Amino acid sequence: MNIKKKEIASEIFTGSMADISFLLIIYFMITSAFSATRGLDFALPEETDTPEIKQEDAIEVHVMPGGAIEVDKKDLPIEGLLPYVLEKLLQNPDKPVILRTDPDATYGDMISVFDRLRRANEEWTEPVEGSEERRALYQDVHGKDLTEIKTISIPTQREIENIWNLLGMG
Amino acid sequence: MALIRGRDRGTGAAIFTASMADIVFLLIVFFVLTYKVEVDKTQMNLPETWIRKKIPEKAAVISIAPPDKGSTIRVSTGEEMALPVSTIEEVITFASTEVAKNPNREFILKADKDAPYGRVDEVLDALKQSKVKYIFLLSEQLTAAEL
Repeated sequence: MNIKKKEIASEIFTGSMADISFLLIIYFMITSAFSATRGLDFALPEETDTPEIKQEDAIEVHVMPGGAIEVDKKDLPIEGLLPYVLEKLLQNPDKPVILRTDPDATYGDMISVFDRLRRANEEWTEPVEGSEERRALYQDVHGKDLTEIKTISIPTQREIENIWNLLGMG
Repeated sequence: MALIRGRDRGTGAAIFTASMADIVFLLIVFFVLTYKVEVDKTQMNLPETWIRKKIPEKAAVISIAPPDKGSTIRVSTGEEMALPVSTIEEVITFASTEVAKNPNREFILKADKDAPYGRVDEVLDALKQSKVKYIFLLSEQLTAAEL
């Protein structure tokens, strides 16, 4: 007796592929982290090349609780910070800026002042047409371009206390 | 003269779905490539800054939670989930270990804008003591309207 073999068609079942694909998309969309990946860079000085900063040689910016600032022991609105620093740096471009923050102030208060100081490069230069370079708007007393604040120092409370102790004022 | 109309051809209203599979796979490929595991999931309001530089990938992360969450400090190597630390000495130990492995190791400081600066100061001091060279202060973009 002849028995006919049934031909079984071999095929991959793709009916549920769309469901799986959409499930994967939804999973990635929900778990994917569009987190902030940018911020202010801040290089800490190495001990070997740390120049000794004398307080009287520097511009001292003190951030108070609430975000108000004192510059060289005088109250100043935050909008006046860069013009004040510019005036000082035109006389001495190597003058460092010391940024001290009251421990009771918030991190946001400190960051807004630090950001303002870092914006000096944008405010003291202008774009050159047809180029990505920027041109300095001001020249210091030596006739050199002044484009940024060279040193912004953020001493910690322990470092400040160490200085006071060294001076015998602790 | 009256025009004799032909029989109305029934136009089937159908959505063209042949390219749906391509679009779906394109989306999957996009998400697979851009997928990043967030090492620290603490919900916080980051400070806003105008200057924002690209942060290197896989940098070590130190986070400071908002005051209503106890200003808890968490540390992560950038590849593992962040773990809370209870003392500032633990931050020094963590940072020193990372710097010993790579002296140019970058650190991200992710802190809530309402965190007390005293707490941030302790972390910055710990990083200075650990001889860390590069720190990135994570921030959101400040818009021109907020200037």
